[in-house]
Amino acid sequence: MAFRISSSPHVRKDTATQAVMQKVILAALPGLAVQCYFFGWGSFIQVLLAIAVALGAEAAVLKLRGRTIKETLNDQSAILTALLIGVALPPLAPWYLVVIGTIFAIVIVKQLYGGLGQNLFNPAMAAYVLLLVSFPVLMTTWAAPLGLGADNAGFVDALKVIFSGVGAPAFALGIDGVSMATPLDTLKTDLSMGLTATESLQKPIFGGSSTGEGWVWVNLAYLAGGIYLLASKTIRWHISTGLLGALFVCSLVGFALSPDTHASPLFNLFSGATMLAAFFIATDPVTAATSRRGRLLFGALIGVLIYVIRTFGGYPDGVAFAVLLANLCAPLIDYYIKPRAYGHRGHS
Amino acid sequence: MLTLLEQLDKGTLWKIPGGIHPPEMKSLSNASSIARLPLFDEYLLPLPQVGEQASLAVSVGEQVLKGQSLTRGAGHSYLPVHAPTSGTVIAIEPRPSNHASALPVLTLVLKSDGKDDWCTLEGANSDGANTKSVSSEGVNAEKVDIASLSRELILSRIQQAGIAGMGGAAFPSHIKLSPASEIELVIVNGVECEPYITADDRLMREHADDIIAGLEIIHKLLAPKRLIIAIEDNKPAAAEAMGAALNRSHLPAGTARVTQIPTKYPSGGEKQLIQIITGKEVPSGAIPAQLGIVVHNVGTLFAIRDAVVFGKPLIERVVTVTGNTVSKPGNYWVPIGTRVTDVLTYCDFQSEPSQKIIMGGPMMGYALPESKVPILKGSNCILVPASDEIGEMPAEKPCIRCGECAVACPASLLPQQLFWHAKAEEYDKAESYNLKDCIECGCCSYVCPSDIPLVEYYRVAKAAIRHDAEEKRKAERAKVRFEARIARLEEEKNAREAKAREAAEKRKASMVGNEKDAIAAALARVQAKKAAKDDGAVSGVAADGAGAGASVGLSAAVSAGVNNTAATPADAATTAADPKAGVAAAIARAKAKKAAAQAEAGESSAQDQASTDMAAERSTEARADVNPEPSAAQDPKKAAIAAAVARAKAKKAAAQGLSSASDAQTSDAPAIDQAIETGAEDSASNNSDENNANAAATVTPEGKEDPKKAAIAAAVARAKAKKAAKAAQNDGVDAPAADTQDNADAAEKNVTDIAESAGTDGAESAGTDAKASETLTPADAKKAAVAAAVAKAKAKKAAQAQAQASNLQQAEDNEHSSSQRDAQLAQSDNAAEAADVSEIADIDVSNVSNVPDAADGAVAENAAPQADQAQDAEQDSKKARIATAVAKAKAKKAAREQE
Repeated sequence: MAFRISSSPHVRKDTATQAVMQKVILAALPGLAVQCYFFGWGSFIQVLLAIAVALGAEAAVLKLRGRTIKETLNDQSAILTALLIGVALPPLAPWYLVVIGTIFAIVIVKQLYGGLGQNLFNPAMAAYVLLLVSFPVLMTTWAAPLGLGADNAGFVDALKVIFSGVGAPAFALGIDGVSMATPLDTLKTDLSMGLTATESLQKPIFGGSSTGEGWVWVNLAYLAGGIYLLASKTIRWHISTGLLGALFVCSLVGFALSPDTHASPLFNLFSGATMLAAFFIATDPVTAATSRRGRLLFGALIGVLIYVIRTFGGYPDGVAFAVLLANLCAPLIDYYIKPRAYGHRGHS
Repeated sequence: MLTLLEQLDKGTLWKIPGGIHPPEMKSLSNASSIARLPLFDEYLLPLPQVGEQASLAVSVGEQVLKGQSLTRGAGHSYLPVHAPTSGTVIAIEPRPSNHASALPVLTLVLKSDGKDDWCTLEGANSDGANTKSVSSEGVNAEKVDIASLSRELILSRIQQAGIAGMGGAAFPSHIKLSPASEIELVIVNGVECEPYITADDRLMREHADDIIAGLEIIHKLLAPKRLIIAIEDNKPAAAEAMGAALNRSHLPAGTARVTQIPTKYPSGGEKQLIQIITGKEVPSGAIPAQLGIVVHNVGTLFAIRDAVVFGKPLIERVVTVTGNTVSKPGNYWVPIGTRVTDVLTYCDFQSEPSQKIIMGGPMMGYALPESKVPILKGSNCILVPASDEIGEMPAEKPCIRCGECAVACPASLLPQQLFWHAKAEEYDKAESYNLKDCIECGCCSYVCPSDIPLVEYYRVAKAAIRHDAEEKRKAERAKVRFEARIARLEEEKNAREAKAREAAEKRKASMVGNEKDAIAAALARVQAKKAAKDDGAVSGVAADGAGAGASVGLSAAVSAGVNNTAATPADAATTAADPKAGVAAAIARAKAKKAAAQAEAGESSAQDQASTDMAAERSTEARADVNPEPSAAQDPKKAAIAAAVARAKAKKAAAQGLSSASDAQTSDAPAIDQAIETGAEDSASNNSDENNANAAATVTPEGKEDPKKAAIAAAVARAKAKKAAKAAQNDGVDAPAADTQDNADAAEKNVTDIAESAGTDGAESAGTDAKASETLTPADAKKAAVAAAVAKAKAKKAAQAQAQASNLQQAEDNEHSSSQRDAQLAQSDNAAEAADVSEIADIDVSNVSNVPDAADGAVAENAAPQADQAQDAEQDSKKARIATAVAKAKAKKAAREQE
């Protein structure tokens, strides 16, 4: 009788792309929850909307490309992309932002480059940058954190604001009434107006924690999620460590040299999208470098770029730009940084 | 900083990068002790070395005993194959191999006789100092004191026992044990890191002392500074047993130790184990011996001990039979050559749909397509998993570049980059990522979340690279061969030319008379010219010819040489307008010369002298006309070949001419072909104008296609005609001279030849002169006319030749003769070429068909009067003979064409 033949190895670790994606999504949920707690239901609605659009867009493109729809959607990478877009957008941003961004991310950045594993750029960040460049005002107006503005928008109110721009009487003024600049934005504006960093940090938006009311908790939640990912070996430590380390070192140097014009390292680490970037965005393996040393460098590059853009650039937060620039550098890093293979001690 | 030895003694371990921890699954088979199998009916013994380093020592039908060597051989890497039991050799034929491909290999099929009788083992010393002992299998054999054996004897015993590495690679052990360099460290590999396999584990637990005895033998052979027995820490019982045995051993204290290493796949890989134990890396492309390290499997040590101490060959090994489809999993002593199916049947194997039979472990083992294959020396495990154990491989999904493969890779490669390049078939790039350093351990495939069969890609890429390298090597070899051939041909050509030159020299030396002929001929021509000027009638015709170019020149020559009808030259003149005619004319001219020479031989009047002169003159003119034609030839190659053909013909003709003649020239002329040819052509073309003949020859083929055919046919016809004429002469008129008689004989013979070989064409034309005019068709008329002209011209040439002969003594012209010699040299070169292409030329000629009978006839008709004159004139026997020979050759060809 004939027996089944196959190439070794005959056993496989029980991991799947789907499982990897699921873990990442799971790890991001605490951060999303904290975000909703401080900034209202807006982020949650954005995430749901983004997921719906992402799945629809991916299914449509897969059909056009003649690929299997169900299996590909099952890998949940589209859901993860949508989640990241959803949490990155301002909670009360109008619905078309998230729709445009998600379609751009899935259709153009991901599928047109060949789908999962083939894209050059991080889809979520590319979408974010597209929106930031196209709708600068809407993209930099964040909902006021809990306790600073009017009461947080309830689920229905947020829904109304997002889809119509007009909410309940409490939000009669529309978005402007319930939103304000983010701490990073405030600091940047104040510094440009001649205030020192210390003076600026006295403002209520920073909430006395020197990092920004609410934002520190959001970042801590994402850090927790990141630690879970590291512990479960879903991601490796190289990129995150490189990113946070480089950002810390840069801001420390800047702060030490000129404390009046620079925020503290802690402020940099726990404000804005730092932790989200370190554990959920930069760690997207598709667009990162491949070798371990290469990934350390890749992460560090993002960290440096975040600092540079935050401090010297025109945008308050530079995560998206930093990640995209690093994506561009990934092939270069891969070319020059290769691990020394066994038996090649002494040469190369 | 501790030295390596100190660290070894301390048990320092180094970490290897990567590695995985697959489920071990060892408890399935490691609980029971190694069991024995019953004798099976049939054993399969592959004979991979037979035909290379080994030959068969037995034949089909022969009875063999257990342990008897079945092959004979010598050489460094020769390993004998032994009978695993006693029985009969029932077949030696290709059988499926124990390989993923199951491709058949030459296999000896041994039918067991059930007695399991041992042959006499040659392990014992004859001095009686040995004690009886019992080896693992219970065979009584003489135990040898290791210390009393020489190094060479030990190695020879290991080789004669057919011991190959039993860890899987099956490399001949005696080679590993006689390294070129100093060995400092021997590592005994008891790691057994593959899941499921417990053969070494059980062996160490049950036969630790025997293994250590093997280690003592290795210590004696290599005298290393340290011996490390490495065992994974998931086999504490084995480690303990080995440690205890080590304590009982005779090894020098402090040199050997058991080191437990952390359980991790693939720690048991040779390179990885060296890295774990010493921190050193085996350089890429090198072997461990270069680091002063050898690694031996525990099973090999056991076999070495059996071989050296008892002289027992390696005919069985421990095999783990495991998986959830056998109800009796465990370890078994399995004779080498036992069929896998027999082992499985014994273990109550229940095959499932799409069952896998894996030889080796789940990580690196290969799936067998066929179970009637033998257990080999390196087969350590038969794994028959149930489908819920090792199921279908999930489909490959896109790589997300997660990098888990790179984390798992023990060789620190970048598997995903290798994968990209291997998949894209960019093998050079894959190589630049050190593909060759991949040990195919399977860690990358194991961890891949996208279920990509990475190792398979690497295997394909490696095979492709190997294939490419092989192709390159082949191409390189072919190039070398080609260049050698070119050089050889060049050499041969040079040698040939040198020979030809030599021959030419010789010939020249012996042909002084001929040269004189040439000089005389030249003088004759000069005289004839003068005479011609005096003769108004002839010169008038000649003047016309001179003005009208080749064709008119031809006609003039013809008319001057032979008193023929006026219509013939006219015809010739008109035909000369088209290329066909041109070619024909050229031929005709060449022939004319000969004919003239012959014709003139009979006439000594001044007018004839004049005509001779005219012929010569016209010939020169003709040459001038004809020469440009080859240069304008559409296909120079064709022309060249044709020229060769012509030359070849001349050669044949010359040969025949000479052989039929009894003239002094026969003895004078060198036997060498080239020389003969040169001489023949030389004389045939009337010495001074040999180029003319060449030109004609060159032109002849140029007219191929239609005109060419005609031309060739015409030439053929001419030859026949001439022969016919001569034959007729011979028949009709009694030979006036002995020379003529010779010639006539030759012609006769020729005619007979033709008659015999080709029918009656030549004979007919000879017999019926006048027939031709009747058969003339308008289309052929022209040709016929030309042919006639040719024939006439030939007659004239004959006359000319005669003139030469008569003027033999008249003058000497040194300049002339020297130029002639040059021409001869050139011709001998040509002759060589001609010889080269003669085959092709022959074919060419034979391909030409459509011999126009009409032309034949016409020539015959016209040739008759010419021949009459020629007959009279035939005095210069040489010329005549050569002409005859040429004619014969042509006739022969014609005959061939007729066929």
